[in-house]
Amino acid sequence: MTEILILFLAGLFLPLFPLSMGFNWLLGRMQSPVLRALALLLWPQAGLLLISQLEFAVPDWFLLLALASSGFYAFRALALRDVGEWSGFLATSSWAFLWIPIHAGTAIMNVQLYALGFSVPLVLLAFLGAGLERRFGAACTGLYGGLAESIPRFSTILVLVVLAIIATPLFPAFFIMLVTITQAMSVMPAIAAGIAVVWLLWSWAGALLLQGLVTGTPDDSRPADLHTGAILGYALILVLLLVAGIAGMGVLS
Amino acid sequence: MEKIILLVPLIPLLSALLTQLLFPRMGRQAARISVIGSLLTFLFAVATLWLVLAVPGSYGVHLFDTSALLLLDPLSSLMATVIAGISLIVHIYSLRYMAEETGYARFFILLDLMTTSLLVMVAAGDLLTLLVAWHLIGVLLYFLLGQNTRDKSAWRYAFWTKITYRIGDMPLVIAAVLLYQAYDTWSLPIIFEQLMAAPEAHKVLGLRLPDVVAALIAFSAFARSAQFFVHTWLPYTMSGPTPVSALMHAGIVNAGGFVINRFAPVFMQSSDVLHWVFIVGLFTAVVGSMLMLTQNDIKKSLGYSTMGQMGFMIMECGIGAFSLAIYHLIAHGLFKGTMFLGAGSVINSARKSDYVPKEDLYTFIVERRPARQRLPWLTMAAVTLAVPVFILVSTHWLISQDYFQKQSAVVLLFFGWITGAQLIFSSYQMGTRNIRRMVILAIVSFAVVVLGYTLISHAFDLFLYPDPVFREQLYAAADIDIIWFDALIVLVTLIIIFGWFITFLADRDGGRKKRYASNLWLMFYALTSREFYLPHLYTLMTRRLLKIAERLNVWMRWI
Repeated sequence: MTEILILFLAGLFLPLFPLSMGFNWLLGRMQSPVLRALALLLWPQAGLLLISQLEFAVPDWFLLLALASSGFYAFRALALRDVGEWSGFLATSSWAFLWIPIHAGTAIMNVQLYALGFSVPLVLLAFLGAGLERRFGAACTGLYGGLAESIPRFSTILVLVVLAIIATPLFPAFFIMLVTITQAMSVMPAIAAGIAVVWLLWSWAGALLLQGLVTGTPDDSRPADLHTGAILGYALILVLLLVAGIAGMGVLS
Repeated sequence: MEKIILLVPLIPLLSALLTQLLFPRMGRQAARISVIGSLLTFLFAVATLWLVLAVPGSYGVHLFDTSALLLLDPLSSLMATVIAGISLIVHIYSLRYMAEETGYARFFILLDLMTTSLLVMVAAGDLLTLLVAWHLIGVLLYFLLGQNTRDKSAWRYAFWTKITYRIGDMPLVIAAVLLYQAYDTWSLPIIFEQLMAAPEAHKVLGLRLPDVVAALIAFSAFARSAQFFVHTWLPYTMSGPTPVSALMHAGIVNAGGFVINRFAPVFMQSSDVLHWVFIVGLFTAVVGSMLMLTQNDIKKSLGYSTMGQMGFMIMECGIGAFSLAIYHLIAHGLFKGTMFLGAGSVINSARKSDYVPKEDLYTFIVERRPARQRLPWLTMAAVTLAVPVFILVSTHWLISQDYFQKQSAVVLLFFGWITGAQLIFSSYQMGTRNIRRMVILAIVSFAVVVLGYTLISHAFDLFLYPDPVFREQLYAAADIDIIWFDALIVLVTLIIIFGWFITFLADRDGGRKKRYASNLWLMFYALTSREFYLPHLYTLMTRRLLKIAERLNVWMRWI
């Protein structure tokens, strides 16, 4: 009974539909970027802590549920305009995949690193979203646009962060996705193909988000661009992510 | 010495970093760093080619003691030289062409990163490195095409490119994972060695592994090389800067032909995949050329011309002529790159004269020129059909006597014959007073092209695939049953001759058609000029999907 309760709670923290709605509801209620960042960072780690208490293997059908949940949120992310909601949906979609390495018996510490690989760029996006709200009153695509011209340094960081979220090489998420597909292939090739399709949906959602913010003609307002300290901070984390990705590539091979 | 292959992609990467770092101090002069980097890259790429020519073989070099492997072999050195050369020209051209544009430094940085990715892709010796480079090319192309951030339409079509490339990435990822699971390594040389030793050793869902992997790689190649159904991105990406179009048509879209060559041992061990590759390539070549002729937008027309050429390149792979596909992609890359970079001059000169040929009646009455000579049609028909056959057969016989034993050779000769006949036929249509001179010139130029093409493709065959047994097996993998083959050749010949006969009749009747034929022709023209409504269909599907996603979000209260 306790085991089933743990599995149920893990389904809440490594979001599986419909439990995933809880996380997205909670994230939507958080106004402070620090709180949002903490939630994005710690939510899956709590799930992994619970999983480490489990004494039986995760059933096969959990993988199908994980794929369905991930695909559902990735697909719905295509129609989102709010940056906060977008990061919540992408978080749900990517964390659901953590069930695959768990099912394959990957050491829990490695899965925790995978969760970090997914979460850290989302944390950066939470802060960037707060930056957009400060400058324009809302972090929403299609409202203002033209950020590439009006705040070029901000948009460069935004582009890189979104690329990291949608698992572009050489960011860690790219290699995590490769590991996930490899592990899924040994269980059921159809799941591996499904993961590849979800990955494609992420790229689509990422492109729509960027095009709604970065491109277009800027309006007359003159928002302040990122200051040097902030750029260095973001750049440092992005470089660390790249280094982690390259190191991950080494581990993978 | 083989470590020189590491420098080739590393130099543009360093140049991108330097351009980024020095731009605030040097301003637009920082772009010259990028050009110098390109020049050095080209020189080192030439050095790798020279090295492989001097000491033939394949060498693997690990990237900074990591597991990433770069190969120095004939294919990588040749492709690296071509890519570095085209990149250098594009860099030099862009110095002034992009001078008035915003994002000048960003453009050169992206160009350098694209060059790095392309060079890593052609030299990748393991599946991980190949996947990384393959994926990055799509991402970088997206940003290069969207260089003008104000241009919504450029971004829209850049997105089409990106999503098609991502669709093409998926099968390559699955193929890589399948190979890794079967052979427990990402290294391409080891995988190929084990695959050649025991091709039947592994199965996927009851199917032979080489068949599944070859099919997946072929699909990836189709998406990257704009084959029919995944081609719509190519003609619409002209909103990007001209140098990017040149680089894309000359160096990026060819990746399909390259990847099929890289996985040649897999295709060699597959059973029917090459036949499907041939059919897709042939269909794309025909449809691409047809769409090219019906477009009234010159840029779209150029895009469809590339699509047709890519179809031809893929078709060459489908008949086992892998090295010929590489020669084709290089030749096409150079001429298409020249066309794009020379587009500005053509537009300038077109402002002075439209070069539209005048009607015969006009030149005869107004300009008082003598009427065009007419030659006996029977003589000209014989010349049209026989001369190309004679040139093609004698040229190939000079190079290799056993050439005609291969089915692929017969297919290529067949295409050569059609092309030659079409060329001579077209020369009669040209408004010249000395038709004999024109025909002789057409025949001589055809002979020179065929001789050059045959000699160079033979040299490419020996250089890229030096092992004669491997070469033979590659051609044999594409062979089909001889009765079917002969029947197909006869059928296609009859179709072509029928087409020429129809053209002759139409020409004789001065373009007049019967009512039903005219209506049918109009319908067909409307369909082709609207690109078979495929872009509309894809747009409609995209909108529907977005609508469904939106509806779902409303139902689920956005959580």
